[in-house]
Amino acid sequence: MNATATPTLEVRGLSKRFPPRSGQAEAPWILADLSFAVAQNELLTMVGPSGAGKTTLLNIICQVDAATGGEVQFEGQTMRLGNGTLNPGWDCRFGYVTQDDNLLPWRTLIDNVTFPLRVQGKLNDQTMARVTELMKTVNLVGFERYYPHELSGGMRKRASLIRTLAYDPPIILMDEPFGAVDAQTRTQLQQDLLRLWNLGRKTIIFVTHDIGEAIALGDRVLVLSRSPAKVVAEHRINIKRPRDLSNVYKLEGFGDMYETVRKELL
Amino acid sequence: MTALAKTLPGRRSHARVWIPVGRIVLAIAFFALWEFGSYTMGREWLPTPEATAARIWKLATSGQLARDTLVTFSEATLGMIIGASLGSALPFVLRLSPRLMKALEPFLSAAFGVPKLALAPLFILWLGIGMPTKVVFVASIVFFLMFYNGMAGVLSVDPRLVAMARVAGAKEWIISREIVWNTTMPFLFSGLKIGLPRALSGAVVGEFIAADAGLGWYINNSRSLNDITGVMAGVVVVTILVILVNAALQRTQARKLAWRPVARDMVV
Repeated sequence: MNATATPTLEVRGLSKRFPPRSGQAEAPWILADLSFAVAQNELLTMVGPSGAGKTTLLNIICQVDAATGGEVQFEGQTMRLGNGTLNPGWDCRFGYVTQDDNLLPWRTLIDNVTFPLRVQGKLNDQTMARVTELMKTVNLVGFERYYPHELSGGMRKRASLIRTLAYDPPIILMDEPFGAVDAQTRTQLQQDLLRLWNLGRKTIIFVTHDIGEAIALGDRVLVLSRSPAKVVAEHRINIKRPRDLSNVYKLEGFGDMYETVRKELL
Repeated sequence: MTALAKTLPGRRSHARVWIPVGRIVLAIAFFALWEFGSYTMGREWLPTPEATAARIWKLATSGQLARDTLVTFSEATLGMIIGASLGSALPFVLRLSPRLMKALEPFLSAAFGVPKLALAPLFILWLGIGMPTKVVFVASIVFFLMFYNGMAGVLSVDPRLVAMARVAGAKEWIISREIVWNTTMPFLFSGLKIGLPRALSGAVVGEFIAADAGLGWYINNSRSLNDITGVMAGVVVVTILVILVNAALQRTQARKLAWRPVARDMVV
């Protein structure tokens, strides 16, 4: 897995600032000249302090939000982000697991999970079998007919995770998807994620403010600075897979890496 | 089994007994008060419940009740359908064009501010004293109720859900149908909740002003003949009609909004 050899996604010179507020001459830059690349099937994690512009970065990459400058190249297709109309999700090729689960409150769990498939007109026996398989993998069988408010936070997270996996986009962006759950559920969700990623390898950009999570999950970690976000360091994580996350601190090389990244984040 | 668990079912069955009993007691108290009022004030000022019931029965057997109720009910229903569909459709259109929304805003608030009752003479002039006048009158009341409630719903759509749906490949009309519609539905129901009784009373008031049939006409006609029992009978029938319509709405709402975490919508 060599990121520099065959990048599937490349971000070049990305910058962003929002329109100035009244009384403000110029709005601060959220992102300034940010560049990085992701290889096919790589699980790239990005760790940065809160408020570093991580969510903004992912919003721009999957075209939910416009950039002020720079470009993103994906599978040979270049997207100038400074102007023009946005195409959120790049025609369903980008999956985006957001910080909030964003489940539709009026739809049952199963209808939420199959929502993208239905919208894309791809709901058939084959994809339904895939959904059932995913539901089994993340232990949601038996809760198909429940509404989101009847489910626990962890279950909703898993639902939102497999909602994106169900339509099998080649690349998935994840924005602190396990931020708002308790420590045990979090470990379980991380383990689920690694298992799912192992089942059908795909490219993932996983953004978090948790150093441990970034190291435990990733093939490679990018360390982001405070706003305006820049890549200040890059580390390849050579902890061998499969990784047992229930005892992540005992994984070989974890402690040293944790210390290194922690210092870089200061 | 804990002590709490033991007491809970008992409490529930108590509630099941006490609520109907309480209602019956309140109803008896209400009728007693009415009876008392008519004895102290005199029957020519306030007819007794029996006299009122007898009048309603007489109207029912003669067929006049059915005729007048049907007239009022059709006016209210037609006006409701026209006003409610236009009023709830407009917010969906305006959502797609913020510029149009801004442009229309002052005109809509101005139109909302016009007292509809004051327009009645114009409606009569243009449309005569028949059904169309009342239908337009009712529609003009219901339209704004539904529009303002619908607008509040459309504005409360969660942009994160919309972004999620766009990334998942949803086109604009799917977002309207799936997200905007479902977010707005509870707001439209509260619009209907206020709108349905208003529609009926709008039709009745319309009939006060000019009509030759309908419950409002009957009430007004009785009044001009100094037939207070007739007035009272008409009022009671209109009230019963409102209660029935409300109950029907309540059932529909409970079914349509079953997904919501809270089930404490006002029943009143």
